Amino acid sequence: MTATSDSSAPDGKASVMGRRYFVKLMGALAAGAAGAFPAETAWAAAPHETIKLRFLRPPGAGAETDFLATCIRCGQCGQVCPNQAITYFGLNDGLGVAETPYIIPRQQACILCMKCGEVCPSGALEKIPAQAGPILSRVRMGRAVVDTRLCLSYNGKTCGVCYRACPLQDVAMTCGMYEQPTVTDACIGCGLCERACISMVQAVRILPAMDKNQKS
Amino acid sequence: MTTASPRFANRWKHVNLVRKVVLTLAFTPLLLLPTATIYQHFLAAHAYDMLPAGDRRLYDVMFWLTDWFITDPDQFDLVKGTTWAATLLGYKISDPLAVVSQLSARFHLFWPLAASAVIPLLFTMLFGRFFCGWICPANLLYELADTFGAILREAGLPLGDRRFDRRLKYLVLAVGIAASAVLGNVVMSPIYPPAIVGREIYYTIAGTAAGAGTAFFAVTVLFDLLVAKRGFCRYLCPGGALYSLLGRYRLVRVQRQVSLCNDCTKCNRACMFDLDPMADGFGQECNNCAACIAVCPTGSLSFALAAKDAAPQGPGHLGAGFKRARKRGHAGESKN
Repeated sequence: MTATSDSSAPDGKASVMGRRYFVKLMGALAAGAAGAFPAETAWAAAPHETIKLRFLRPPGAGAETDFLATCIRCGQCGQVCPNQAITYFGLNDGLGVAETPYIIPRQQACILCMKCGEVCPSGALEKIPAQAGPILSRVRMGRAVVDTRLCLSYNGKTCGVCYRACPLQDVAMTCGMYEQPTVTDACIGCGLCERACISMVQAVRILPAMDKNQKS
Repeated sequence: MTTASPRFANRWKHVNLVRKVVLTLAFTPLLLLPTATIYQHFLAAHAYDMLPAGDRRLYDVMFWLTDWFITDPDQFDLVKGTTWAATLLGYKISDPLAVVSQLSARFHLFWPLAASAVIPLLFTMLFGRFFCGWICPANLLYELADTFGAILREAGLPLGDRRFDRRLKYLVLAVGIAASAVLGNVVMSPIYPPAIVGREIYYTIAGTAAGAGTAFFAVTVLFDLLVAKRGFCRYLCPGGALYSLLGRYRLVRVQRQVSLCNDCTKCNRACMFDLDPMADGFGQECNNCAACIAVCPTGSLSFALAAKDAAPQGPGHLGAGFKRARKRGHAGESKN
């Protein structure tokens, strides 16, 4: 049927399947296959998106895709981390993120000593001097978000623990008359405020900056 | 004639023993460094009075070991890492496979990392796949498992000794590189036993617990024991494949002196990589471990400086086959 209607067969030879029909069929098959395996399946998602955990990368890490392609999984950043904040995913978390470093700020936050970037051989963690200027301009782990419904200072009890824990006081976090914290755009997401928050559940959390460009 | 005489004295006889010592010495830091890290944390925190008895003993031992050269806990940061990538007094040394993985994952060479692999690369071009036999911490464990397997075989357990194509590991390396490129992810490192061993020892001692990498490594050990003798190194290791390729034209290699060989096949049975020393078949995969030299009863194997293996020299002149052929007048009169 297709062969007779196909004007591109001038010699009249009856081919069972014309080339154009074949291409269309393959296209339909490919579209069907793509429909059968939607992009939301776990294997098609970026590796870090399958982790059901809010985690930060160590300071100096770039965008997540770059980080996964650059980190050689040597484990030296965790070995030099004086605060033991850096821990590692295992093979059970998926091959994509296996043995990569992460920080759970509520458990142990980054104190911005920048030793991990110093020891990193692969370039996955940028070498940043442990000074306020370079840290403010080049570290981007995430950004603190205050939940005013949970925060004691916003609910009539003067607390201010997060403000006092912040290593970049009055730059990354300011506070009001009753110690109500306000996070500024300078926040780099070290997580010391979340670690220090005395509210259970914590009223301040770090939103990880996974896909943001490191240099702002 | 085949009894040991001064003529057969071989100065390379004990290289294999030296290798085992070096291998053990290369393994020791993997145990010492995590312990030192725990001590470093205690030291930095001035925590001695708060330590439980077990940690206090660790503190005492490490204090006794390191007090004579450590004045500041930060000095422990000068030596960190594993055999996969290490920092030694500020200098960084990395496995060439790390450079290859990263290069294939992001198509961009990070020069400091490439520079850190230059020393291993030069050593590999000189000594071939020496890393596998002389440094690799996984090899130490595989060798111990192999010895254990020999005991089990002696006891009558039917352990596997299947042979596969040794070129399989080059396919594993190629698939690893392709997967890294497709996924944009360094996927070879988490399943590379030398890297696993260093990391998992660290996690076990200084971290919270051993990870799933330990289970993966245990599976490879079981594969060695139950399926193929030394199977992972021989047939699957991507690092071994890379080192073999880099060490193809190594300058230091084992060679056979055919006039001293008696075709006893001991060298072939001793070879951890299933090579064929008795027929000059060392190839690019020899790791200069010198196990063949150690078992050779006539001292016909020794190290030589050469960029290529000797051409196959035929049966050994002390062997029965050669003598029979010579009696019939077929063999050359090159016996010296």
